[in-house]
Amino acid sequence: MSRWQYFLRRLLLSIPVVIFGTTITFMIIRLGPLDPAAAILGPGQASGPRAEELRRQLGLTQPLWEQYFDFMLDMVTFNLGNSWVISSGTPAYELILIYAPRTIWLGFWSVLIALFVGIPLGFYAGLNPNTFSDYTASFGGIVWRAMPNFWLAIILVSVLSQSEQLIGWDWKTWLITTPVVTPPRLGFMTEPLALITNPSESWPQLLGAIKQIAPAAIVLGSSSMGNEMRIGRTAVLETINSNYVETAKAKGVSNRTLVWKHVFRNALIPLVPIITGEAFLLIGGSVLVETVFAINGIGYLFFQAAIQGDLPLVGSLMFIFILILVGTNILQDFLYTVIDPRVGYDES
Amino acid sequence: MSNTQQVDEVPLTQRIRENPRPLAVWLAMGAVLIALEFGAVFGFAADLLSVVISLIPGNPLPGVVSFLESLGSSIPTLLSRETIPNQGYFNGSGYENTFLGLEPMLAWLVRVVLVYLYAFLFLGWVWNGYVRFRRHYRYADWTPRDDVVDRLRSHQWGQFGLIVVFLFVILAVFAPALGPTTVEANILNPYSHTVQFWNADAGAVQEVTVGQANLQSGSQGSGTQNVGPWTYDDFGRFHPFGTTTNGKDMFTFLATGARISLSIAISTMVISGFIALALAMVTAYYKGLADLLVVVSSDSIQALPQLMLLILLMVVFNQTWLSEFYDGALLMVMIFVFGYWPFLWRAIRGPALQIAEEEWIDAAKSFGQRPWVIMKKHMAPYVLGYLLIYTSMSLGGIIIAVAGLSYLGLGINPPTPEWGRIISDGQPYVATQSWHISLIPGILITLIVTGFNAMGDGIRDAIDPKSAKGEGDGNTEAVAGGSGA
Repeated sequence: MSRWQYFLRRLLLSIPVVIFGTTITFMIIRLGPLDPAAAILGPGQASGPRAEELRRQLGLTQPLWEQYFDFMLDMVTFNLGNSWVISSGTPAYELILIYAPRTIWLGFWSVLIALFVGIPLGFYAGLNPNTFSDYTASFGGIVWRAMPNFWLAIILVSVLSQSEQLIGWDWKTWLITTPVVTPPRLGFMTEPLALITNPSESWPQLLGAIKQIAPAAIVLGSSSMGNEMRIGRTAVLETINSNYVETAKAKGVSNRTLVWKHVFRNALIPLVPIITGEAFLLIGGSVLVETVFAINGIGYLFFQAAIQGDLPLVGSLMFIFILILVGTNILQDFLYTVIDPRVGYDES
Repeated sequence: MSNTQQVDEVPLTQRIRENPRPLAVWLAMGAVLIALEFGAVFGFAADLLSVVISLIPGNPLPGVVSFLESLGSSIPTLLSRETIPNQGYFNGSGYENTFLGLEPMLAWLVRVVLVYLYAFLFLGWVWNGYVRFRRHYRYADWTPRDDVVDRLRSHQWGQFGLIVVFLFVILAVFAPALGPTTVEANILNPYSHTVQFWNADAGAVQEVTVGQANLQSGSQGSGTQNVGPWTYDDFGRFHPFGTTTNGKDMFTFLATGARISLSIAISTMVISGFIALALAMVTAYYKGLADLLVVVSSDSIQALPQLMLLILLMVVFNQTWLSEFYDGALLMVMIFVFGYWPFLWRAIRGPALQIAEEEWIDAAKSFGQRPWVIMKKHMAPYVLGYLLIYTSMSLGGIIIAVAGLSYLGLGINPPTPEWGRIISDGQPYVATQSWHISLIPGILITLIVTGFNAMGDGIRDAIDPKSAKGEGDGNTEAVAGGSGA
């Protein structure tokens, strides 16, 4: 099978995955014991004429298969419906537009921090194996990865809130005054041109937004950072000991070319699934980290929607997450197909 | 190792009969070890029996269970709080009701040290049994499994993991004996139990209910409202890890919490491991449509964000009868199994497919062996090692996820101890003098997750020394990362 055939097959396979994943979501929220009418009307009012009326309005009295096809059709055509409980009557689309930018900002920085700290550290450790700095970096990465995100977030919030008393250095007023928790102000995103036209006002805003998101991003990126470091280290160690590097060394390739051209490129291959896998960690982890840092992003929105029984919002958010994750998987396959010529030759 | 291969091979029982001494010595050692803890073993068996009997409709034997339980608690046990009591009081000149009149801290320490000593002796006994079997009863001088064991013996990082995990398992198993007090007296029904203490102002021994004592020994950050780790509270009670916000003993809480986390993690991994293994066998043997179906369904479950799927399922099933069992632990296990089997199946699918291509599978098929037997006898044993690696790596992720869910207020119902809930309770006090409430459970989780990962590394290197290569490694790393909690 050629590489592109392999990629095409993966692409085709993602269609049933999206459909089936959405079906699972439908089954959980509609067949599960959660009663949307009770969630809207409040506890203790699950029966009675008002609840019946509401059920009829929401289309819950229709036969199940009809509900299912309506749901799937709505999702596939991006007709995401309205929120029922959290913000009754507001389209889910609008809510996502309000909440998503904060999560994207958080995700962007946590990916960046993980990439630009984890990979260089891992490569450094791999290039200097079995030295003190290698052991320090490796052990740090292992422990860093084992720490529960939410716990790390709690500790960081507490320490930063009182950094003046605890370590004699005030985080809140450092560089620019920002609170430790609460969402960053992302006003500059709507008019990025202001960064050029009105630098005195927008740059501090950007700086403040970065500073505010940094602790949360470090926490959210922590586990992927540890992963990237460990994989990076093993990958470099492996390529360094491989025959073609030996050959290159023997024919007199300079050290710099050797590292950049022969070692790094090949060591990046096993890092691909780790980097794309970050999407999973980010979306899942956003719930806890956003809860601790009081950032009302999309993870927080999902959590609130779930515990308050806002079923259509939960379904729509889940569908969006599925699309993002399946998209990331396709991206991973694409990257593999481009980078690694061996793809498609082993069937597993 | 199967003893049907050689013609002149005698069965194991006969080999033992010819040379019974090593086995007899080993059994005698075991008998001594078990006799020391016979009461606990008996009590455990009685508990198990009572669970089984309560499942039978009609409750046929109401008296038997309570009789067995009372019998179990009346048998003296070396490592129990009755034999080595630490809950005494100061009577003005010395300690009463503690072990040898020691102060409560020392009495508790003696018990902890003895419990761990016993546990390590037990471990040594099991190891000794393996060595004896290898030396006296096994035909082969060498089997591939010996190499696995030897590699593990020279793998220090893996041994570190094994020891951490072992310490943690002992903490969970001996939780009732290790705590300075009991869950029943200190956490569940504090107002039906009393403690005696030395009131220095009155110069006399006084009695107070545990609930009242708890109220006055909570850790809430400010001023006198703090009982830190390794201190006594005003009522002469020793707290190795300090107290919680409402004055309950943290060590007792954490030890019981360890029990719950560990049982959830292990039962999840055992069940999803079975599902993954069965599916891997079927998909690798039949391939084609079976494989495609499982690929699509596992990909679909994996395409749902893990933690959010767990949250959603937790919320949906929260008020149902399922959440009643074991304070919601059963529901958690079911949800985790639903979310985790695809990862395990994915991880062992490759090795299973490779094994299915081997010649001996063809040979077995050609002489008409049944598929079920081929899968069980000729395929499963080769995949089991990989499964072991991935399960031990995922255990840490599950422990983190359980804590994360209960931090959010989902999962194990209060007041049953759970680590995530205590972290959430202590959240407002992290930067105060009551830092221990959130910090200690977090450090313990970090330690145990590191331990599980290290153990997984060790097992991986021991089972397949060549497997520590790029892509395979990537899979284990991704699994070990957990669900982002």
